[in-house]
Amino acid sequence: MAQLRQDYEQFLARGAEVVVVNPDDAADVKSFVRSQALPFPMLVDPGHEIANAYGQEVNLFKLGRMPALVVLDRDGIVRYEHRGGSMMDTPKNSDVLAVLDRLNAGS
Amino acid sequence: MARTLNGKTAPDFALPDVEGRTVRLSDYRGKKFVVLVFNRSVY
Repeated sequence: MAQLRQDYEQFLARGAEVVVVNPDDAADVKSFVRSQALPFPMLVDPGHEIANAYGQEVNLFKLGRMPALVVLDRDGIVRYEHRGGSMMDTPKNSDVLAVLDRLNAGS
Repeated sequence: MARTLNGKTAPDFALPDVEGRTVRLSDYRGKKFVVLVFNRSVY
């Protein structure tokens, strides 16, 4: 999250919003969001309905959910997806920014 | 193996943020790209 915050301006500059869907209860996440001053919407999905709709994988051995990231164009079409193979497997910001550059160039 | 959503319309949703405000994915439709991140915050 800190990594996303670091480059948040760059996402905004490319006409994108960063939206985080968190599997924990609001109460657990709230203090963290405030302490980190996270500038983007931090949504809570404790029932995991949305995460499941997007096919986020669950690591049964670690009882955790694998990170996933999707980029949607302005029509709501999925143009990029990254599904983590481990808990820490997230794409680099530079990779996601490059996707946005491509989308901006094409539209 | 996770199913791919690439090229498909993303499932719409309405979820509360940590302050209780509802955010709909469709709010961004026609306006912005959306980088949708599924992760725990507390890393």
